[in-house]
Amino acid sequence: MKNIIETKKLCKTFSNGGIQQHVLKNIDLEIYEGDFTIIMGASGAGKSTLLYSLSGMDKPTLGSVSFDGTEITKMSTDELAIFRRSNCGFVFQQVYLVESMSVLDNIMAAGLLVYRDKKVLAKKAGEILKAVDIDEPLWGKFPAQISGGEAQRVGIARALINDPKLVFADEPTGALNSQTGKAVLDTLTKFNEKGQSIVMVTHDITSARRGNRILYVKDGEIAGECKLGKYVTGDKERHQKLNDFLAKMGW
Amino acid sequence: MNKALLLTKSNLRKNRGTSIGLFLLMLIATSLIGVSLLIFFDCYPTVRKTAERLNSGDGFLQIYGGVDGFTDEKIDEIIGSETDDYYIYRNLSYRNLPLTFGEGKVITGFVCVDDSSAFSREMNRFEVVNEDTSITENYIYLPFQFNTSGGFETGDTFEFEYTGKKHSYTVRGFVDCIYGGCNNTGCFELLLDDESFEKLWDEAHDANENIVIIYDLKEGVNLGHFNINTTSEFLKINPYAQVFSDTLDSVVSNRTFIGLIIAVSILVLTSLIVVAVAMMLANCISNYIQENMKTLGALKAIGYTGRDIKASLVIWFMSLACVSSLIGIFVSYLFMPLFAGIMIGQMGLSYSVSFNAMATLIPFGYVVLFTLIVTLIASGKISKIQPIVALREGIESHNFKKNHVALDKTSMSLNMSLAMKTFFGNMKQNVITFFVVGFMVFACIISLLMYENFSRKPKLDILTTELCAGVVACDLETKDEMRDYLESRNDITNVREIINLDFYYNDEVKLFSYVVKDTSKMNNKSLCYKGRLPGHDNEVAVSGAFAKAYGFEIGDEIKLDYGDNSYNYLITGFIQTTNNAGREALLTYEAADHVIGTDNIPGWFWFDMVDEDEDFNANADTLETILDDIKEDYGDHIVGTMNFYEMIGGSMTTFKSISAMMLILMITISVIVIALILFLLIKSLIYHKRKDYGIYKALGYTSGSLMLQTALSFMPAVIASIIVFSIGSYYGANPYMSTFMRAFGLMKCRFDIPVAGVVIIGVGLAIVSFVLAILQTRRIKKIEAYNMLIAD
Ligand SMILES: Nc1ncnc2c1ncn2[C@@H]1O[C@H](COP(=O)(O)OP(=O)(O)OP(=O)(O)O)[C@@H](O)[C@H]1O
Ligand SMILES: [Mg+2]
Repeated sequence: MKNIIETKKLCKTFSNGGIQQHVLKNIDLEIYEGDFTIIMGASGAGKSTLLYSLSGMDKPTLGSVSFDGTEITKMSTDELAIFRRSNCGFVFQQVYLVESMSVLDNIMAAGLLVYRDKKVLAKKAGEILKAVDIDEPLWGKFPAQISGGEAQRVGIARALINDPKLVFADEPTGALNSQTGKAVLDTLTKFNEKGQSIVMVTHDITSARRGNRILYVKDGEIAGECKLGKYVTGDKERHQKLNDFLAKMGW
Repeated sequence: MNKALLLTKSNLRKNRGTSIGLFLLMLIATSLIGVSLLIFFDCYPTVRKTAERLNSGDGFLQIYGGVDGFTDEKIDEIIGSETDDYYIYRNLSYRNLPLTFGEGKVITGFVCVDDSSAFSREMNRFEVVNEDTSITENYIYLPFQFNTSGGFETGDTFEFEYTGKKHSYTVRGFVDCIYGGCNNTGCFELLLDDESFEKLWDEAHDANENIVIIYDLKEGVNLGHFNINTTSEFLKINPYAQVFSDTLDSVVSNRTFIGLIIAVSILVLTSLIVVAVAMMLANCISNYIQENMKTLGALKAIGYTGRDIKASLVIWFMSLACVSSLIGIFVSYLFMPLFAGIMIGQMGLSYSVSFNAMATLIPFGYVVLFTLIVTLIASGKISKIQPIVALREGIESHNFKKNHVALDKTSMSLNMSLAMKTFFGNMKQNVITFFVVGFMVFACIISLLMYENFSRKPKLDILTTELCAGVVACDLETKDEMRDYLESRNDITNVREIINLDFYYNDEVKLFSYVVKDTSKMNNKSLCYKGRLPGHDNEVAVSGAFAKAYGFEIGDEIKLDYGDNSYNYLITGFIQTTNNAGREALLTYEAADHVIGTDNIPGWFWFDMVDEDEDFNANADTLETILDDIKEDYGDHIVGTMNFYEMIGGSMTTFKSISAMMLILMITISVIVIALILFLLIKSLIYHKRKDYGIYKALGYTSGSLMLQTALSFMPAVIASIIVFSIGSYYGANPYMSTFMRAFGLMKCRFDIPVAGVVIIGVGLAIVSFVLAILQTRRIKKIEAYNMLIAD
């Protein structure tokens, strides 16, 4: 299996009022192509910090991250921004759509960073929006005028518009009820099945089941890893394996 | 501590940038108001104060040409009963004597020469401004203006030439003197050491003896009447005498003309800045309310009343206003010497800035009161905040109606289309930008106009009623011959006969009159701004300022006196002039024939030069050789010549430096004001959109492109404003200038506004605004996508 990300001795330290807090400690980790990787752990364990260090959103204190063979830790802020455009897609808990733009323009604003041809892009944006079950009547609406679940699916569409090598999702269902959350997870699963690599941070076992590889973060280290294989609904054995793993990790 | 005070403290701390921005704007406004009021209330009255100190009375009379028979007793008989006090002295006087001044020569009506008794005489004393006492012989004291604008220093050599004889002296110092100290008053007074004076007196008193009478009128005596009556009484003593009179009032207004124009233009600029500050202040308060909706709701929930919160805003902005206007006033005193330098150049009197209560209290009161009113009005919304609603909804929910610039349809570039989205989403910002930039464009174009018309290509129409290159006056005998001779010369053109005579209206108003043979030959086409110039022998044109003051309309009849004769003329038009206190008239030779035999008037020929250069001094030289040539041909028959280029060159010197400085000042202030306003607007824009910027950064937008978008979003308002206000100012500047030039006698301005200059100012301000905007969007760099995602 080909790896997309490889970290070496990744460290992240925050200093809060002079007190140094080592959030990530010497993490050596690989993320593989085609995987739906899940990062779990207690609140404050450093999951988000890890996710954003992997994606070039934030710079690690020490160590290196190479993305598809390119070392990104040495890039400047602007180089990272340009790198992210076509390599990474992001889905956030708070969705973070630009409130003053229509749904379609939110997608276009991301897509236009990579695609020059507006017509081709608009067509593609339409296809992706349909694929995440956002139908045309919603395209002209503003984020404040659609539901939370719809907004999150628009967020996923935005993350996918530039065919990123990897989609990063930080608790994408955290703010949703179980039903709308499921629709979001279904969307992610569907794209993963089509070959999209995803890394998702989650708190919640139902969400974690969607992954085929679970990493558990504890005290700034990867405390354990569990391989589950392809997601299928109602696979009791698969659920049990995950539950056992999490119990072992102290979940 | 008081609740409101507590809130104020936290507001000040949290809104430091906004506070500083407003603070500086108020400071600029107060200091400019301060400066213009200091000119009005302190600098301008200097002339009167000095006149009092030097005991210069109400005016003076001067007898020249034929002084025989004017004993002190005779004079006392004539003026004694109407004056409280008077003082007679004798000196030398030279008519139309060109003196070196600045870049050219200056010619005033006459130059008087006194000896050292002028320092101690009872009335109209001289006072030394600066001197070099090591110079002990063959020295001269010059009016202070020769130092400030005329380019002379102590120790320099000062020369003048009269009837071919050269006189040369060392400049010992400069003096304040009221009637003869300024190139706008028609007279210069010089002072020689006693020995040199005696030498000159022996040489010249036969032809140039001059009697000066300084007088203080009794209460109730009419100044105009007095001058006319005395003049005619004097002429009875000696019909060859030439009598000249002037009053303190007209000297004061001549000396302060430019100062007032400057003060008024600064006030106009300031009033625009005050409007800009008010708009900004209102905007800041409404932003504050929007940004702090939740906090305000919480404050209300825990028992703060709307009044407490409003009071905190009032304290916040009032303390800003008080401190900034105090410092602003201090700054105005600090900068006043700079302006005073210019004023002194024109007043020709020494002046040092002193404390002035009006100039201190008015700007302070004005800015503070203005701030209070705007704050109270703008914070009215606070009382309406419902705590529950505010807490729940926080920032007012956006009300989007239209998705401007749909990204899938627009043909604009990505940065441009996102900039346009910001533009359409911030109409309040656009309105403020539009007006502030526009006001500054207007201020710059007005100063451009002043620079162009006073300095670069002096619009001489406003300085003199009729323009020409030179004048030759000859005796009666050669009049006809001279006409033909001048017309046959091919280096001069447009030879016309114009003579200046003093007509009187109602025995009291002197109208400096142009008697013109053929009005169609006159160069000054903007002279008659209403009606038409007179053509028939019963017609006259009078100055608009005079007509207004005495209630004349076009078509009215006016009785004018000349000597003992008078005639009823029909007013055909109004002329405009800044000279002679706006009291002028114009009529034809035929019309003047009713009161004076024009056939007996010597020849006065005005003409233009064929090869005119751009450069005044070059013209002056060329004309000088032409005049010399004419003198060679007609020697003794020439009564006098005048070289206008030389004359204007001298009097333009003061205008030049003033208008150039005004232009620089206005442009600098405009740029600073635009910078401050953009700073405040961009700061609040970035604050409002900080979440969006975080999202954009996460998606892969670079700081550079976000900065560009933000700066670009201001440009439509900037460009629209520049276009609208440039065109508006281009067409509106003259009517606008007219409204306040009217006070100086110029009723309908036709100043040139160079299109190229307007374009340079417009393009320049657009570029400067863009660069300033880019600089101020740098804070976008500090927004990190990551921080935004972690926060919340
Ligand atoms: N910018 C920052 N400055 C200082 N400390 C930070 C910063 N970002 C995160 N931390 C700290 O690092 C630790 C890990 O934070 P992180 O957000 O990665 O946790 P998490 O595992 O995502 O938790 P949660 O499940 O609650 O989202 C926390 O203790 C947090 O306080
Ligand atoms: Mg987290």
